[in-house]
Amino acid sequence: MTINVALKPSDLDTAERVEIDTATSPDEALEAVTGQDAVDIRFASFKDGRGFSLAAVLRARGYAGQLRAVGDLLPDQIDHLTRSGFDAVTPDKADDPRWQRTGFSHAYQPDAAGAAPAYRQRTFAARKAKVDALNQRYRDASPDEILAAAQAEFRGRIAMLSSFGTESAAGLALLARSAPDTPVLFLDTKRHFAQTLSYRDALIETLGLKQVKILEPDPADESKLDADNRLYQRDSLACCDIRKVKPLARGLNGYDVLITGRKRYHGGDRTRLDPFEFDGERIKVNPFASLSEQAFAALFRSLDLPAHPLVAQGYPSVGCWPCTAPAEGNSTRDGRWAGSDRTECGIFDSARTTRARQASYRLI
Amino acid sequence: MYRYDEIDADLVKQRTDEFREQVEARLSGQLSEDAFKPLRLMNGVYLQLHAYMLRVAIPYGVLSSDQLRMLAHIARTYDRGYGHFTTRQNIQYNWPALVDIPEILDQLATVEMHAIQTSGNCIRNTTTDPFAGASADEVADPRPWCELIRQWSTFHPEFSFLPRKFKIAVTGSEADRAAIGVHDIGLRLVRDEAGALGFAVYAGGGQGRTPRIAAKLRDFLPWRDLLAYLTAILRVYNLAGRRDNLYKARIKILVESMGAEAFTRDVEAEFETLKGGELAVPHEEVERISAFFAPVRPGTGAAAQVIDPHYRRWKSVNVKPHQVADRAIVVISLKPVGGTPGDATDQQMEAVADIAERYGLSEIRVTKEQNLVLPHIDAAALPTVFEALKDAGLATANAGLAGDIVSCPGLDYCNLANARSIPIAQEISRAIEASGLEEAAGEVSIKISGCINACGHHHVANIGLLGVDKKGEEVYQLTLGGVADGEAAIGEIAGRALSADDAVKGVIASLRAYVTHREAGESFVATLKRTGLEPFKESIYDH
Repeated sequence: MTINVALKPSDLDTAERVEIDTATSPDEALEAVTGQDAVDIRFASFKDGRGFSLAAVLRARGYAGQLRAVGDLLPDQIDHLTRSGFDAVTPDKADDPRWQRTGFSHAYQPDAAGAAPAYRQRTFAARKAKVDALNQRYRDASPDEILAAAQAEFRGRIAMLSSFGTESAAGLALLARSAPDTPVLFLDTKRHFAQTLSYRDALIETLGLKQVKILEPDPADESKLDADNRLYQRDSLACCDIRKVKPLARGLNGYDVLITGRKRYHGGDRTRLDPFEFDGERIKVNPFASLSEQAFAALFRSLDLPAHPLVAQGYPSVGCWPCTAPAEGNSTRDGRWAGSDRTECGIFDSARTTRARQASYRLI
Repeated sequence: MYRYDEIDADLVKQRTDEFREQVEARLSGQLSEDAFKPLRLMNGVYLQLHAYMLRVAIPYGVLSSDQLRMLAHIARTYDRGYGHFTTRQNIQYNWPALVDIPEILDQLATVEMHAIQTSGNCIRNTTTDPFAGASADEVADPRPWCELIRQWSTFHPEFSFLPRKFKIAVTGSEADRAAIGVHDIGLRLVRDEAGALGFAVYAGGGQGRTPRIAAKLRDFLPWRDLLAYLTAILRVYNLAGRRDNLYKARIKILVESMGAEAFTRDVEAEFETLKGGELAVPHEEVERISAFFAPVRPGTGAAAQVIDPHYRRWKSVNVKPHQVADRAIVVISLKPVGGTPGDATDQQMEAVADIAERYGLSEIRVTKEQNLVLPHIDAAALPTVFEALKDAGLATANAGLAGDIVSCPGLDYCNLANARSIPIAQEISRAIEASGLEEAAGEVSIKISGCINACGHHHVANIGLLGVDKKGEEVYQLTLGGVADGEAAIGEIAGRALSADDAVKGVIASLRAYVTHREAGESFVATLKRTGLEPFKESIYDH
């Protein structure tokens, strides 16, 4: 991030500014900046590091306007300023050429400027290498072999993500057979069909799943954004954000590896799916990725599993009731977001995940 | 040992290049001393009584033979042929020329060392148990966590201008050996009932003019959350710590004034907003760092029996049991009788580097007691190691005993000091030798600070001395009963301050009182607790 070093306040384009000093408490500061486009934090002394924490807190809580540092600041603090969340500075002594110096090439900490810290860069490189190696070895392996390899490699930090939908039972059955203690994460969006919930409970019972974790939306998000229960009509993306993307992001703490039920024959973004996948943050395991629709159906039958009650009513794929319809098309994903060009809810989209983490803060 | 990757090396290089420019600007007069001061402090350069002092970071006190040789080279080339190991597991050079410092930093970078954040109001070198990865009694090796903290705390954008300096200590053992109770943050590795690794977290301990024992914030913090929790503590402190009074700016004052409960509540609330995000410690990074600290291979055999009584005495005092078969931990006392605590010459450093390379997997540690440790000596080589140390004048058999005195530099070097420390330490050392009490007294800690800032850790010494300036006269206050490790305790003032001569006699009198009144197997502190101060005061003041 580059910082705007301004000699005079008038060099900045925004006229309306609010100024707080470094002694302001975070709560007072949040109140003062709400609804503002431009905020100044005044440093009485370069030694007063409270300003850095204030900026970091304001950015973390979602303040997105301009944040300028003013006062007794040193050119040597430019990295501290940008990385704490400032995007402009008007120092008392702006004529020092050192204000133009560039910052360090790497950082050891996450920061408001958004670059990955060293420990995450290294980790992501390691995960990518691991995924490449596993795909080399297991590209044509059976679902059971892929699951066993994932358990051997990632025990203790792996979970299965399940919608308890029309195809879910197969993955759950294989997992219950090999590693029934593996956590299974279920997003209770509060918009599920009653049939999905009863099917879920029946499968837990039949298969002997020991670790099903129910992830629910934050009640605060629901009351703020969906008080009338009609958010799905106004903004279906926002609805998925608060009911799926955010609860999952919270529920995933501690799990670096996720087993999904996605398959290439679902089409869309999934046509090139590998058994192991690095999404820029986590590893995903897709044991059924390469199975044909016929092969998957045969596997499902061979496991002697109950069908989702809505299959008989013509639903090839089941999500939340407002966005799922019966369908007669050829694809299993037909009937999801029917009448729109959406194909994914967003939980598999890291850009959406990042955006949604901040969704409730957009209010500021 | 940890080795830099490209990221680590780039960052140190960029920092030394930046500081070279700053020094050039200072030398050419472009920068005033005033403007230069905050810059040099963040690079370990102090202005002392006589000259600039350079403090080089020894991360968590761990050195390789190559690194120690570089420290010897710097002592020989840029200083007066010696270096001074500190109570913070670092090394200080007292006589470098400012113009040479960029060159020194460049040379240090070639062996993956630096002087970053060894001073200033930032997070300082993380310290740990000098026996880490070697001692038989540890729950887990603290060094990977120290390295993780080292990196996280280096050039922290939010925490480089704190109210005051900030020190973190980590221990992997119940016995502690890192004095976590008197640090701004103390971390103890523990396992929960399920066997998962985490930390007991303490904060608000410290020494200085207001010694405090840290409060426990958490019984168990999962390791994944370590950086999020540290960030939460530092953020609460950075925003709420006092900045109006230098002497009330440490976190211990904040914890005390808020109360441990309220402080913990604020930290936990901030932690809730941080945990699980980008600060979550990745499994892969822990694996990567831990691989540098893999358990060592066994030695080649047990130590041979040797008749030499000097060797036997040294072995029983300075050699400690190792977690791996046929290895031993060797403490090298830098406290010869009448010597300067913590000083080592360039030749001594080179001798230690050679011994470590030949018999100890090239590893050396620096202790907060200002000694060196060879953590992984092949037990079969112990007699040879003893002879080599003896030749270098490094075989003093007093590790952990009364003669193993800790001392700050005091008035001889430091512009904060009120009184001399090193000469007093030397006097006490000679008096202990003359008294013949050392062997009888066994493990006793004696520490000396030349002023109330307590760099000599006198508060946590069994017998502590604090130098005070009383109307132009240097006098010394004796404190008794302090403990640094494990159940940390602050010593109690014994009575009125004493002249230098009487203080030396007072220390001997305290030792004598202990030996006289103790019951079998009783430590100094246990005896003091049982008898109270009275018999000690009598011995000190009524001789």
